[in-house]
Amino acid sequence: MPEHATAPEPATSQAASTRTGPGRVLVAIYALFALSATARASVQIATKFDNAPVAYLLSAFAGVVYILATVTLAAGSPAARRIAVISCSVELAGVLAVGAWSLADRATFPDATVWSGFGSGYGFVPLVLPVFGLLWLRYFRRRRP
Amino acid sequence: MFRVNGTLPTIVIVAGLALAGYALLMTALNRRMGIGLLAALGALEILLLVLVGVIVARLAGGERPAGIATLIGYLIAMPLVPVVAGFWGLLERSRWGPAVIAVAGLVAAVLMVRLHQVWPVIHA
Repeated sequence: MPEHATAPEPATSQAASTRTGPGRVLVAIYALFALSATARASVQIATKFDNAPVAYLLSAFAGVVYILATVTLAAGSPAARRIAVISCSVELAGVLAVGAWSLADRATFPDATVWSGFGSGYGFVPLVLPVFGLLWLRYFRRRRP
Repeated sequence: MFRVNGTLPTIVIVAGLALAGYALLMTALNRRMGIGLLAALGALEILLLVLVGVIVARLAGGERPAGIATLIGYLIAMPLVPVVAGFWGLLERSRWGPAVIAVAGLVAAVLMVRLHQVWPVIHA
């Protein structure tokens, strides 16, 4: 059989990546949080920074972490996946630390951050998201070393 | 706390949740993105554009909420949600395409509730 230039593509043509399959949903939710955390922090820092400086700076930091996780999960290269693991880990540590801090020391948080009360203002999605992110990345490390 | 007055905000919330339910059903049935989901997504987009129109008309009439910057952010972001989700979902040729649309439906409903908290003046 002669080889045709238009030979049917192999089944693996849609190369599995951290942005395909369930990762498509993960990237969508990360993008949403990247946008909302960054936009909210920007408005708060620009209009009423003195109200709750710690809370607003933490929100801005959260926004940067979400942006980094979104971009690296969407890129999906081995290097990007390593940065994504770090981003999701920082995110998980952040939501746990800020969550506990916000409950213990309410005076520092007169206004909420994304991570206050373990993300209770956002339906606890900020708490669940990094766990799914890390599980997804681990699944990839096992499947495609 | 989460009480929402007004016909239009209620319709947007119901439409968003209905879209999410429909899309999740498609994911559960292992279906790809289809014309039905795109039509439902388009219907939500039209509702959101009507909503933006109503609010812009009120702003043009001289009314102002306390958080004007936040409101304008919502006015820009909300109509983009179905569009971006539609493109991102269409890229995925598996059951996870509709799952992206489900997220968009839920997000539209949540944003509607939050928008109403920013400016509870929309009774149209």
